Amino acid sequence: MTYIIISLALYVLIMAFISYTGYKKTKSTSDYLLAGKEIHPIVMALSYGATFISTSAIVGFGGAAGQYGMGLLWLTVFNIIAGVFIAFVLFGKKTREIGHRLGTNTMPEFFARRFNSKLMQGYSGILIFLFMPVYASSVLKGIVDYIAKYTGVSFNVVLIVLGVLAGVFVIMGGLKGIMYADAFQGTLMFAGMAFLIIYTYSILGGVTHAHEALALLPRQPGVAEQTEGLVKAGFVGWTDMPRSGSPLWWNVITTLVAGVGIGVLAQPQLSVKFMTVKSGRELNRAVLSGGIFILFMTGVAFTVGALSNVAFYNETGRIAIKAAGANDSIIPAYIKAFLPEWFGGIFLVVLMAAAISTLNALTHTMGTALGRDFLKQSLRLRSDTIRLTRIAMLIGLVISVVLTWLSGKLDVSMAIIAIGTSMFYGLCAATFLPTYIAALYIKKFPRGAAHVSMIAGSAVSLFWLFFVQEKTSGSLRICRLLFGIDSVVKDTPLHTLAMVDAIVIALPLSIIAALIAWAVIGSAKESQQAPVTVSAD
Amino acid sequence: MLGIPDPAVWIAYLLSLGGAILCVIYGIINWNKDNGGNEGGKKR
Repeated sequence: MTYIIISLALYVLIMAFISYTGYKKTKSTSDYLLAGKEIHPIVMALSYGATFISTSAIVGFGGAAGQYGMGLLWLTVFNIIAGVFIAFVLFGKKTREIGHRLGTNTMPEFFARRFNSKLMQGYSGILIFLFMPVYASSVLKGIVDYIAKYTGVSFNVVLIVLGVLAGVFVIMGGLKGIMYADAFQGTLMFAGMAFLIIYTYSILGGVTHAHEALALLPRQPGVAEQTEGLVKAGFVGWTDMPRSGSPLWWNVITTLVAGVGIGVLAQPQLSVKFMTVKSGRELNRAVLSGGIFILFMTGVAFTVGALSNVAFYNETGRIAIKAAGANDSIIPAYIKAFLPEWFGGIFLVVLMAAAISTLNALTHTMGTALGRDFLKQSLRLRSDTIRLTRIAMLIGLVISVVLTWLSGKLDVSMAIIAIGTSMFYGLCAATFLPTYIAALYIKKFPRGAAHVSMIAGSAVSLFWLFFVQEKTSGSLRICRLLFGIDSVVKDTPLHTLAMVDAIVIALPLSIIAALIAWAVIGSAKESQQAPVTVSAD
Repeated sequence: MLGIPDPAVWIAYLLSLGGAILCVIYGIINWNKDNGGNEGGKKR
């Protein structure tokens, strides 16, 4: 406990100092929204990485790997290739260049000015504000679960304290404070995860030996009884992919890997980071640190999550999910049982850093989406941007805290954190990705086609999440309320669709809708491409 | 490979490492290049 108190006190002090410095240095709206557009490449890469990787990735997806195995490493491949390389090189440079030319401060505003459409700004803004709390609550649940499990303090008390802490840090600082705080937190996260993987491999006898032990685990005495339910769903082993076409395979491949792996390319809280650097050179440099950072975050979390089964079995005769009690408790329980006590305290701060850095960016994005994009620029509300944004941030944060409290009442065997995250990433991909690519690379893409793609992508995605995909529609309960079942395709010849993630259906439909609309409307005329008036705030 | 029997899993393990190495090489080669348009910082 002493280690936890000392580590937490130091963390809060340093964060308070950085946030206060950011607050003092924030003089203009551009400082507040885009950190003055002169951020150092390493700070940008660490901020992007720390925002991208949250407790959801470490505790939620790490726990999912503890249950489903190392097949989740495909998500790490996507995280590095799509989330860093493609995102920085193909999306980042163009976003920065066009964003600076048009004077944009947020992703909805980027679309609005690129396509000369206030409707797009309002629509994207309200969609982000309404659904981002689902992701924010997953991030919060990750850290609250860990602290509650590790210290024995009640879930609700930890939730309230963290909600207040996140509120103070983000509302004070603006993006400048957030990005410097992220760089500090990213460094902490890197050091913590590096120690975690080295220690885990060393207690399990080295890399190859640890993997071999994990591969043999399904055949050890007493394990078959514990994995009975998982095997029925398609589980083969922790070093094997799930059985092709099984419910588990669909869950791992479409929800966990594709949802987040592709969804990362159209995340409003991440794309805004590209606009904070001075030139494309900074983004080239950021690729270097970004790739290594992500490898040490999700690569380590998924490997350690899966390997925790060997450690738990050797010590207790039980596999990780049985020993920890819930999917989202596997990583916290592993750290508590097998790592040195001092590391438990430090790792708690690492997770705090992962959670607060992502929450800061999400709260900031929710605030700008409602305050600036929807109320100020779309509905033309007359008020100071920073004030409006701060009020909107508070509202977004309160909604996220309430959702976290509600998620504590869901079935603990579900990978709640991972599902909540995938849901938001998938929705963003289907809604924004085709339009985002067109905005960057197709000069004559018409505004009407962008409207059609956004509306089709979001409508199909939401319909799928609420009425078809059983994992989400079952939790959201609206389908049950209206039709008395968890999925409208259940018990029909189309029942396999209930296992398919929304992104697999909604993203292709959003692309097809865009192409059909483009063919019908024809290419954009010059007048449509002109940016709308740039205002200082 | 590396004690992992399923090729679909060890390929993912190696690709994760390979992806990070690709990022490092790209970062070093393009360290001083501004090949994303050189209008940096241009404000209206």
